[in-house]
Amino acid sequence: MKLLETPLMTRTSSLRGLAFLTAFALTLARAQAEIRETSVWWLPRNVNMFGHDVDFLFYIILFLTGVAFIGVFFAMILFLIKYRYRPGVAAIHTHGNNALEVVWTTIPAFIFLALAIYGNEQWSKMRRQTPPANALPVAVVGEQFGWNVRYPGPDGQLGKMVAAKISKENPFGIELADPAGLDDFTTYNELVFPVGRPVRLYLGSKDVIHAFYVPEFRLYQDMVPGRVYDFVWLKAEATGNFQLACNQLCGQGHYKMFGKLSVVPELDYETWAKSKTPPPVTMTGR
Amino acid sequence: MSTTTLNHSIESHGHEHAEVTGWRKYIWSLDHKIIGLQYLFTSLGFLFVGGGLALLLRWQLAYPSTQVMANGDVGNPLSLPFINPQFYNSLFTMHATVMVFLVVMPLLIGAFGNYLIPLKIGAGDMAFPLINELSYWVYVLSGAILLGSFFVAGGAAAGGWTSYAPLSSVSAYNGTQIGQSLWCVGIFLNGLASIMGAFNYITTIVNMRAPGMGFFRMPLAVWSLFITAFLLLLAVPVLSAAAAMLFLDLNAGTSFFNPANGGQPLLWQHLFWFFGHPEVYIMILPAMGMVSDILSIFSRKPVFGYRAMVYAMVAIGFLGFIVWGHHMFVSGMNLVLSAAFGVSTMVIAVPSAIKTFNWLGTLWGGSIRFTTAMLNALAFVLMFVIGGLSGIFMASTPVDIFVHHTYFIVAHIHYVLFGGSIFGIFAGIYTWYPKMFGRMLDENLGKIHFGLTFAFYNLCFFPMHNVGLGGMMRRIADPTAYEHLRALQPINQFITLAAIGLGFSQFIFLWNFFRSLRHGKPAGKNPWNATTLEWIVASPPGHGNFEVTPRVYRGAYDYSVPGAPRDFMMQNEPEPSESSQGKAAGRKSVTAG
Repeated sequence: MKLLETPLMTRTSSLRGLAFLTAFALTLARAQAEIRETSVWWLPRNVNMFGHDVDFLFYIILFLTGVAFIGVFFAMILFLIKYRYRPGVAAIHTHGNNALEVVWTTIPAFIFLALAIYGNEQWSKMRRQTPPANALPVAVVGEQFGWNVRYPGPDGQLGKMVAAKISKENPFGIELADPAGLDDFTTYNELVFPVGRPVRLYLGSKDVIHAFYVPEFRLYQDMVPGRVYDFVWLKAEATGNFQLACNQLCGQGHYKMFGKLSVVPELDYETWAKSKTPPPVTMTGR
Repeated sequence: MSTTTLNHSIESHGHEHAEVTGWRKYIWSLDHKIIGLQYLFTSLGFLFVGGGLALLLRWQLAYPSTQVMANGDVGNPLSLPFINPQFYNSLFTMHATVMVFLVVMPLLIGAFGNYLIPLKIGAGDMAFPLINELSYWVYVLSGAILLGSFFVAGGAAAGGWTSYAPLSSVSAYNGTQIGQSLWCVGIFLNGLASIMGAFNYITTIVNMRAPGMGFFRMPLAVWSLFITAFLLLLAVPVLSAAAAMLFLDLNAGTSFFNPANGGQPLLWQHLFWFFGHPEVYIMILPAMGMVSDILSIFSRKPVFGYRAMVYAMVAIGFLGFIVWGHHMFVSGMNLVLSAAFGVSTMVIAVPSAIKTFNWLGTLWGGSIRFTTAMLNALAFVLMFVIGGLSGIFMASTPVDIFVHHTYFIVAHIHYVLFGGSIFGIFAGIYTWYPKMFGRMLDENLGKIHFGLTFAFYNLCFFPMHNVGLGGMMRRIADPTAYEHLRALQPINQFITLAAIGLGFSQFIFLWNFFRSLRHGKPAGKNPWNATTLEWIVASPPGHGNFEVTPRVYRGAYDYSVPGAPRDFMMQNEPEPSESSQGKAAGRKSVTAG
């Protein structure tokens, strides 16, 4: 970097017009320096069981669209060179070709339909599969601008959530009569998942629409207020620290509505859960 | 005889208003050409406003004022301190609002629609000149209200151009009660202007075509505006109604969208996207039509598969109304519904593919002239292909879920709306400027403008695909607030620099545009040797357009007809068959397509 910077900088001091281009080149160089360290130009690593299917589908589409683009691009370049204006050479007078129209209608139609069917199958697979019985239930309720998180206590069960009961005083909309909720504990902007164990999310919102987004989990779910989403589940395949981000514009603090998400070994999770002493009678969160 | 009635209707509509002269004509003229130019100048002005907003928000993304430095200091020395997070939200909200409602729609539909439709179909004016002028002034009013909202207490609307409720509908959540309310009023009025324009265009095209101008002899530019007008008429009222409901939620205590009082936030999304997806096609179809014509003119070839092009646009128009749900996959949609919307979204890619192949077919075997207009049209095709193909990712639900709210979709929409619509608009301006002002734009400046725009445009928007895949969310005021995005910051700065280059390149265009008004080469009637009716009259055409209503004898694309004296045959030139009987049978079948 140093080598690159010095000669360019001295040149620009004399040639002001080049300043802009230099800045351009430097940023590019810096960006490329980053590539080697963190591969910032591409998908982040995937740590969710379902992420593999998402990535696979992504690469299928990337391949098909890539081939289509390269085809169109080179056909266009070829035509532009071959059929550029030359004196004495007239254009071909043709109004089209019906056979060609049929061909280039049906082939894309089949490809697109196949893609739609395959994509939909994958989606149904992700959504329809019921979470296994040993899944850890975790409730996450968004608010302007933070995440209320509720974990089950020793009984392994969350108190029942009712969307209509979500309010300032009762952010999780917990059914007060439900004994399962008594030993639950809550955190704020902090999530810990055990690795290798399915986690079932119960998502809700206190005020506006928020969205649960963790790129490394290939996971995104809008949380529309007035509803509890109970179909999202995941299984982390590797430990690590991630960031949970709100990805639906939710107001002026939206840009810093994020939480810490750690995936840890099961035992570490147990220790962490125990350390969060539940308050004596907790119906509500923060 | 049917032609006499047609003639009569043209006379009665086209010449019922007197010509307004002097400076007043630029305010009160009912002439469709003046109204078209009013739209052109106003929306080009808004283009620079919208672009300025874009540069401000890009600056904030590169050098966030909220950034905490490595040494603990708050703020970046290069940051603009007046861009706080709330103002940033207003910036991107209003950037999109201005570009969609005050720039792209008015340019394509207001400027080109008004200017070209009567001239291309051989009419003296629009069917309802007074409504036409009213539509323009309502549009100006909507623009004034939207921009004025920056200066009210709380600032302009900051809930995104999609204004999702309940953030938009409850002032305690958005903090921009007045700004958001004015947004509703501006959008409502803007919709009114669109609706007035739409039924005017439909009436004009159905009733006022010159004798012989059958539907399948109309240039594709007219076809595209015709179909667009129907989309406007069906989609815009839904947005207007939604905006009115949102206004009531904000100001009259109703709860259409607020779940706390029994409202339904998803109702807003359905209404908005029922408008919003056809809107995407509203903003691209007219550009597709113009580009089809321009490719044909400068390839000296008929449009390849003219009827297929028309049917593809009709198909896009129809399918455009049943794909809106793909914007809502992320809201937790029922699986049956998401399957249906997924399939319809994939299917709508088919007519787009058909159009692309036919554009290539038009180039094939041509005698291609690389004018600035042609370069922009070619860029349109290529960029639209990228924008269309990146849309496939969003049609596939599982992938959509991941990339939906990242910069990937920001890249996608800009490849369609800038790469598509704006290059289409530039192609249109370079093509019809000589007709509008009687002088040519400077080709050298034009090519420099094109080259810089094309390069900076791609440098700016292509890397957005990458940062999006890298996990960068859209609509965040400070990417450096996130650990996982900090490594992307150099790319963000690079994008911002490219955006600045893109913005400043447009001053070349501005210079060329205004300089050529006085100093451009005189254009003459038909500088491009094109075939359609606007090129048979003077540049600029006089009030009433045609001294004698033209009679149309052929389709819009008779270029390089074998045996013809020139490489183009005007639409009002009689068939050579009428003078030389021998060729009649042979020619008929070719031109019928």
